[in-house]
Amino acid sequence: MARTLRLSPIRLRVPAAAWGLACVAAGFALLASAQVWRAALGVELVAMAFWLWARSAVDAREQMARWGWLRRPAMALWLAAALSAALPAPAPVTPPARVPGLATALDVPELSRPATPAERDPLAPLRALQALAVLWAGLELLGAVPASRPYPDVTGPLPHAGPWLPAVIPAAGFLVLWRQAGAWTGGPLMRELAVVLLALAAALAVLRAYTRRSWTASLRWLAAFDSALAALLVAIDAASTEVAFLLWFAAAGGRLMALAAEVRGASGRRGPDIARLWRVAGWTASACLSWMLLAHVVPAGGRLRLFEYAALAAPVYLAAALSLRRVVEAPDRRALSRTDPSRVVGMLAALLTTAVGPVALALAFGAGYRVGWTAAILAAVPALLALVPRPAAGAESELPPLLRGPVAAGATARDFALSVFRLVVTFERQLAAALRALLRGLGAPARDLHTGDAQEYLLFLVGLSVLALLLPLLR
Amino acid sequence: MTPALPYVTLALSGALLLRMGQLRREGALALGAAALSWLALAPLALWVALPEGTTLARAALASALAVALLARDREDVRQSEAALKLAWVLGAAFALTWAGGSLLALAAGTGVTAEQWPALALQLDPYALWGAALSLTLLAGLVLLGGAPFHFWLADVLHGAHAWLAPLVVAALQTAGAALLLRRLDGVAGFPAGAALAGGLLTMSAAIALVAGAATLATQRRPERRVGTLASLQGALLLCALVAGRADAALLASWGAHMALALTGAGALARFLTVSGDAAGAPPALFRRHPISGALGLYALFSLAGVPGTPGMSLWLDAARALAATRHPGLLAALVFAWIVAFTAVVDEARRAFAAPTELAAPERAVPWATRAALWCAAAGLAAMLAAAALPAGLALLR
Repeated sequence: MARTLRLSPIRLRVPAAAWGLACVAAGFALLASAQVWRAALGVELVAMAFWLWARSAVDAREQMARWGWLRRPAMALWLAAALSAALPAPAPVTPPARVPGLATALDVPELSRPATPAERDPLAPLRALQALAVLWAGLELLGAVPASRPYPDVTGPLPHAGPWLPAVIPAAGFLVLWRQAGAWTGGPLMRELAVVLLALAAALAVLRAYTRRSWTASLRWLAAFDSALAALLVAIDAASTEVAFLLWFAAAGGRLMALAAEVRGASGRRGPDIARLWRVAGWTASACLSWMLLAHVVPAGGRLRLFEYAALAAPVYLAAALSLRRVVEAPDRRALSRTDPSRVVGMLAALLTTAVGPVALALAFGAGYRVGWTAAILAAVPALLALVPRPAAGAESELPPLLRGPVAAGATARDFALSVFRLVVTFERQLAAALRALLRGLGAPARDLHTGDAQEYLLFLVGLSVLALLLPLLR
Repeated sequence: MTPALPYVTLALSGALLLRMGQLRREGALALGAAALSWLALAPLALWVALPEGTTLARAALASALAVALLARDREDVRQSEAALKLAWVLGAAFALTWAGGSLLALAAGTGVTAEQWPALALQLDPYALWGAALSLTLLAGLVLLGGAPFHFWLADVLHGAHAWLAPLVVAALQTAGAALLLRRLDGVAGFPAGAALAGGLLTMSAAIALVAGAATLATQRRPERRVGTLASLQGALLLCALVAGRADAALLASWGAHMALALTGAGALARFLTVSGDAAGAPPALFRRHPISGALGLYALFSLAGVPGTPGMSLWLDAARALAATRHPGLLAALVFAWIVAFTAVVDEARRAFAAPTELAAPERAVPWATRAALWCAAAGLAAMLAAAALPAGLALLR
C-alpha cells in the first residue's frame, strides 16, 4: 500500500512520491539560479525529497540513514549564502594572469609572494570559507569527497525508480559548481583543490563502473564520472559556460536517459538497432567532453604536459570502452514484438545525446576556440583507442612475470580495479573515522559542562571573579 | 516611597508564592494561588517589553521573583533544582557585580555611571583597581544573558519549569541582563582604556558563548535542553551586537519580544518531542494527531536558530553584518559556526518529529487545546514580526 502524507484536518492525501518529485523539480529549477541562497534552497529541496521518499519506504530506517548525508552539501551552501549576505562586497581587484589548463592548476602555488591588498583584508579568511563551502557542496554531491564517495553503488528510496534516483545527485553537484562558479573559483587554491579532487573522483568512478557487473550500477558511476569531468572543465576554465553545460548535458544527461531506459526493462538494449544507437550516443558524448578537456590540458604553459594527460586519458579510455562494450543487446522476451512508444522516445533520446556533443564543439569553434593539431590529435586518442577491437586473450606465457601468479589463480583486471577502489575508499573512511573520534574527544568537555551540580557552578563563578581580580594585578 | 512600592509588592508576592507552595490549596486559596501566579508573570512580561532603565536592583528583583515562582512547588524536583541553581549563582553574581560597582565608584569618586568614565579617563587610579572593578560589574549581565559557560540555567529552567512559566522567566532574565550591560557600558567610549577592556571581555565572552554553546547543542539529547541552549546562543548574539556597538534600546526591545515568542512556541513544542535516538521511529503524539500545530511549533524553534524565512534570521544576520562591518572576523567565524550547528540541530529535530509514517492509529486523547493555542499564538506573533520587518522592504520595492 502506498504511504501518503496526511495533512489533518484538511485530509489532503498526496503520495509521498509526488511530494518528493515536486521537491526535486523545484530544487533543480532553483539550482539554475546564480544566487547562492537559491542554490542552497535547491539542494535542501533535493535532500528533502530523498528524506520524504526514504521515510515512506518499506526499509525506511535503512534508507533514511543512507541519504541523511544530503543535508551536508545543503548546509555548506547555506553557510556560503549566509556569508555572502553578511560580508561587505570586496574591493575590486585585478585577478592575476592565469595560463589556462589543468597543469597550471596543479602547479605548486606561489605562497611566498607578498600579500595583495585583497588578501590583507581581515575578512579574507571568511571570503575563502565562503568559496570553500560552495566548492565542498559541489564536490560532495559529485561524490568527490570521502564522506559521500560510495553513494552511486546503492539504489534510491523509491520502489521502481530507485536504481535511477542516485544518478540525479551528481547532476545537482555539477549544476552547483557550474552555476556558482563565480562564487568559488576566485577563492585562494580553490581551483587547485577542485582539480585534484575531481580528477581522483573521476578515476575512481570509472574504476568502479568497470568493476560493477550490473549495467545499471555502472551507468550510475559513469554519470558521476561524466559530471566530474564536466566540473573539471569549469575548474580549469576550459570552455565557455554554455559549451561546458552542453557537453555535460550530452554526456551525463545521456547516461541518465540510458539509465531510465535500463530501469524500464532494459528497453535501450532490446533490439540491435537501438543498442547500436545507444553505443554511438554514449561514446560520442563522452568523446566530445573528454576531447575538450584533454585538448586544454595537453599544451598548457607552452609545453606538452604528458603526465597530466596520461592521468586523465586512462579513465577517459576506460569510460569510452565501457560505453561501447557494455551495451550488450538484450534478447526480446516476446515472440512477437509490439509497437512500444517508449522505444521511439528512447531512440530520440539517443539521437539527441549523439547530436548535442558535436553541436557544443561547433559552438565553441564558432565562438573562436582554437587548438593546435598536436593537442587535438592527442586529445582524441583515448576515445579513438576504445574503437579498436579488443585483442584475443593471449597465452599465459606472454604475461609479465608479476601477473602470472594472480592470473593463474583466477584474478582479472576487474579484481585489480576493485582492489584499488576499495583500498582508496577504506583509507579515506579510516581517516574520516579518526577525525570524527578526535572531534568527539574534543567535544566531550562540552557535555560535562552541562551536568554539574549547583555548587560547581557557584565555585566556577567565584573562581572567575577571583581571576577578574587577579588578572589586572598581573598585568 | 512611591518608586519602592512596586518592588515591595513584588517581593511580597514572591514570598506569598513560596509560602503557598507549602499549604494545601483548596477553594479560595487555590484560586488565589493561581491568580497570584498569573499576576506574578505580569511584571516579568512588562520587563521584557520595556527593558530600558533596568538597574541592578530591578534585575535582582526579577531574579528573586523567578526563583520564587520556580521554588513554590517543593515536590517538583526538577523545578526546585533549577530554582536552587539560579538562586545560588545569580545571588553570587549580583553580589560580585555590586562589589564591582562599589569599587568603580570608589575609583571614580562618583556612583553615577555617566560621570565615572570622564573621571577615570583622567588616569588618576591604578589600572588594577578600575580594571577589576569594571570586569566585575559586567558579571551579572553576562550570567543573566546565559551565554556559555553560564548556559546551564537556561536549559535547567526550560527542562524543569512548567511550560507557561519557563519562556517568560528566561526572556525576562535575559532581557534584564542585556539591559544591565547596555546601561553599564553607556558612554564608555569616552574612556578609551575602559572601552578597550570592556570590548575585549565582551568579545571573549561572546566567542566562548558561541563556540561552547554550539558544541553543547551538538551533544545534547533532550529537546527541552536544546531549546535552552538555543536561547543561550541568542544571548551570545546580543553580546555580539554589544561588541559591534550596535546594541540599543530598539534592538533590545525587538530581541526581547522575539525571545519571548519563540521560546513560548519552542518551549511548548519541546515537551512533545522525543529524546534523540531513532530517526525512523513513530512520530510523537503531537505530530500524529495535530501535525499542523506541530509544524507551527517547529517554526518557533526554527526562529530561535535563525533559519531563513523566520524573524530570528534577521537577528542573526544583523549581528553578523555588524561584526563584518566593524572587522571582527574571529567572532564572525564563531557566529557562523554556531548558526550552522543550530540550523542543523533544528532541522534534525524536525525530521525526528515527523519521523517515518506509522500504521499506528493516532492517539485517542487530543493534545490540550491550550497548548496548541499557545503554539498557534507564538507562530502568529512570529509571522507578524516577520511581516513587520519585511513590510518596509516590500514597500520600497513597490515604489
